[in-house]
Amino acid sequence: MATASGGGGEFVDKFPDEAAIIKASFLIAFVSLGIGAFFGLVQALHRTNVLRVIDSADYYTMLTGHGVLLAIVFTIFFLCGVFHWAVARSLDRPAESALFSWAWVGLMTTGAVLATIAILGGFVPNLGMSADVLFTFYAPLQAHPIFYIGLAMFIVGTWLSGADWFLSYRAWRKDHPDERIPLQTFMVLTTMIMWYISTLGVAVSVVFFLIPWSLGLIESVNPLLTRTLFWYFGHPIVYFWLMPAYLLWYTVLPKLAGGRLFSDPLARVVFLLFLLLSTPVGIHHQYLDPGIAEGFKFIAMTNTMFLLLPSLLTAFTVVASVEHGARQRGGEGYLRWLGALPWRDPAFTGMALAGAMFAAGGFSGMINAGMNINYLIHNTLWVPGHFHLTVGTAVALTMMAGSYWLVPQVTGTKLYSRPIGLLQVIMWFVGMVFMSNAMHRAGLAGIPRRTAEPQYQNFEFLTPIGSIFELRVQIALGGTLLFLSVVLFLFNILLTSLGEESDRPVDSYLPEPLSGPEGSPRILDNLAMWTGIAAVLVVLAYTLPLAGIIQNGGGLFGGGLPVPATVSAGFDLVMTTVTSAFNTLWGVVA
Amino acid sequence: MKLTKARALILIAFSVPVAIELRTVAGFFNVELPLIAVAVIEFLFLALLFVLYGLYGEGSESAA
Repeated sequence: MATASGGGGEFVDKFPDEAAIIKASFLIAFVSLGIGAFFGLVQALHRTNVLRVIDSADYYTMLTGHGVLLAIVFTIFFLCGVFHWAVARSLDRPAESALFSWAWVGLMTTGAVLATIAILGGFVPNLGMSADVLFTFYAPLQAHPIFYIGLAMFIVGTWLSGADWFLSYRAWRKDHPDERIPLQTFMVLTTMIMWYISTLGVAVSVVFFLIPWSLGLIESVNPLLTRTLFWYFGHPIVYFWLMPAYLLWYTVLPKLAGGRLFSDPLARVVFLLFLLLSTPVGIHHQYLDPGIAEGFKFIAMTNTMFLLLPSLLTAFTVVASVEHGARQRGGEGYLRWLGALPWRDPAFTGMALAGAMFAAGGFSGMINAGMNINYLIHNTLWVPGHFHLTVGTAVALTMMAGSYWLVPQVTGTKLYSRPIGLLQVIMWFVGMVFMSNAMHRAGLAGIPRRTAEPQYQNFEFLTPIGSIFELRVQIALGGTLLFLSVVLFLFNILLTSLGEESDRPVDSYLPEPLSGPEGSPRILDNLAMWTGIAAVLVVLAYTLPLAGIIQNGGGLFGGGLPVPATVSAGFDLVMTTVTSAFNTLWGVVA
Repeated sequence: MKLTKARALILIAFSVPVAIELRTVAGFFNVELPLIAVAVIEFLFLALLFVLYGLYGEGSESAA
């Protein structure tokens, strides 16, 4: 790991253009966080019947805003800021063109604003514009074309941001032909390759089907095809959220703990495994879709279980690195070393608590991923309970905690208040324990998700322990604590950015790993080869299911009556297509 | 080990999931724990922590 950036004030002094880009990215991320968190509070109070200030019909507009603003705009803008920082810092060079960097910031911002306008238009019925399609924006729900066009611009903006970092890497490689890729840049590049592969699905869905359909250029779409293309992207986006958190856990958390990363090669292996395995698993979100044969679902489940390996490797490496830090600080014993960790530091505490909750989220995720047990909790409140532990805590809390260390580096000012920061991250942890725990329990009782008023006449949900009323109170209390936590965070960050400049706002030095990349095989850095393998795995996992969906669902644009899914249907279509192509080619050659 | 404010806050934070799941764990042993019992146990834990912080926390005579 490069350690060029020594003093805290150096990043903003050394890379002023990059610091400006990062500040702009963080600003948009935090504005989205504030609005999205407010929507979340309104929803938590509405569906628990504690306080209803909106019509239940508007609940779905808020739900879409909450999902899009937090799960897409906040997370990805923050990712762009972190990745821009990581590439400049680890390569020790600015971006090739500041204008190009501002271009992707501008494109992403325009796209995000357009999509948000379309969503908020749902609150004004006379406007004739709405996008109540929820975060999973596949057919048959239809949004205003502005929503899809905004999302398309946003995605293209992320592609350009990746190109920016690859250009930096290419320039660095010319000057350092024999060196290993610095770890943080390696993490950024592998994540972006995964993103390029996975966003192809959503790009095809939006550009070829949803935009023409919403504009009235085509009459119908094949709904299962748009669903499958969404989930082709919808699961890897989970890792796109997670990878900046992993980058911070691997390269910053050990330093904050007082130690060093345990193993650089292990970190590289983890990121490569995510590149290979993130995409060919999306069908595990479609276990109850009748148009996909069970055999393909089983393959997706198997691939998903392989994803546990890099997660468990991460748990081992990060905990080992943190323990090393604690022992450097005088910690002893099997567990007493935990007391030696810097719990006063909100950046450390927030990331550590996020990691602890991620373990719980991983366990509930395994329930989601299991084909048979998924039927128990499918489309229940269990699912939001799960992803509020993963993206809502492992990612969001790590991003907020990381901000306490990163924002001073790009503003050159000291953190306004460490005690407020500490209170904020702990409040998030406690609030999420209340809310997520109750959501999981409510899901087990069968309470559906995405429902403004989850009550059925003459039907009573039963819980094995406690009551539904307790669960509602828990969700409302948790949601309120989470919103207050966001308010504290934004207040602290705002006052930090308005503070006076400091020569050394934060200790930004990152030490070398205990085990560096020297002893690991150089093939780990062969990005072209890993990209090829990832593409082959995607082709193997998706060709037959997609072919079957097109054949059984009435073609690319739907229209016909769907027929039951079989593995052989997809195989027949592929064989017919390949045979036809071969015959045509043979005819030309002959 | 000195009980700092930060350590006390962390202990409080981790006591919340333990308290919430206490009835589930008790249920494994066929013990039906009422909600009020959980509230009392959590309150007693917080009181104990408060006393320990007063005795051994930052600024206390024994800590000095």
